[in-house]
Amino acid sequence: MSTPRIWISSDTPQAGDTVRVRVLVEHRMESGMRVGPDGATIARNIISRFECKFDDDLLFVWQPETAISQNPYLEFTFVARQSGELNMRWMDDAGAVIEGKKTLTVSG
Amino acid sequence: MTFSDMPAKRFKTRRRLLEATALGVGIALATPALRAQQTPAHLRRADPAEIQAIVDAFLGGTQPVTEGLKLDMPVLGDNPASVPVKAVLEVPISRDVYCKELILIAEGNPRPLACRFEFTSLAGTTEVAVRMRLIETQSVQALARMSDGRVLAARRHITVTAGGCGM
Repeated sequence: MSTPRIWISSDTPQAGDTVRVRVLVEHRMESGMRVGPDGATIARNIISRFECKFDDDLLFVWQPETAISQNPYLEFTFVARQSGELNMRWMDDAGAVIEGKKTLTVSG
Repeated sequence: MTFSDMPAKRFKTRRRLLEATALGVGIALATPALRAQQTPAHLRRADPAEIQAIVDAFLGGTQPVTEGLKLDMPVLGDNPASVPVKAVLEVPISRDVYCKELILIAEGNPRPLACRFEFTSLAGTTEVAVRMRLIETQSVQALARMSDGRVLAARRHITVTAGGCGM
């Protein structure tokens, strides 16, 4: 699977700062509403779950449905409290997993 | 061919031409209507009852507050396959009072529930942005449930220039 593109407002924030993250992965997000050339419906295959963890602590879970566009983009913020690793996982209907991470060094 | 039978022949062809033109124009005008009728059931906008069921399930009997949640999105969706939608929680949050769950509903889509977020208190903020595909001009709704039981709601209307769901 593709490597996610990750942008982070700061990877060396002060403790208590709000960090903004923008992520994008390549995925067809097949809606299950399209009809193929043979007249049969193309099976749904979308990213149906995204997990964002800081080290091992869950920050949030995102469950996209068919209304989320192709190559799903997500922007979120969180408060930096200590140094660690931001771990992100995308999972699609077919069981494929995309993983991405970003290391944060928090000062102060 | 003699000169005398010429006008009659010409009239005949002219009438044919007019008839054909009228028929052509008629078909051209009727086609969008026919196409609308032939939209497959799975691509038609969801039943309002289905949207109400999603909202009711989320509210769980609470009365939503229409303040404190901002839904930021364009008025015109010029690319319906990718409409930027941002939800920002504007009420102060702490370790104890935070947003637990947030949903986005595209009211005119065949599958109205666009996505769901479930936050933990560790996130510390609630601000998310996604890109949605919208099949037609419609309203988008955001609902956020706080850990203290409050539900915040926001709704915005968007004009969409073409359908994005079949993409």
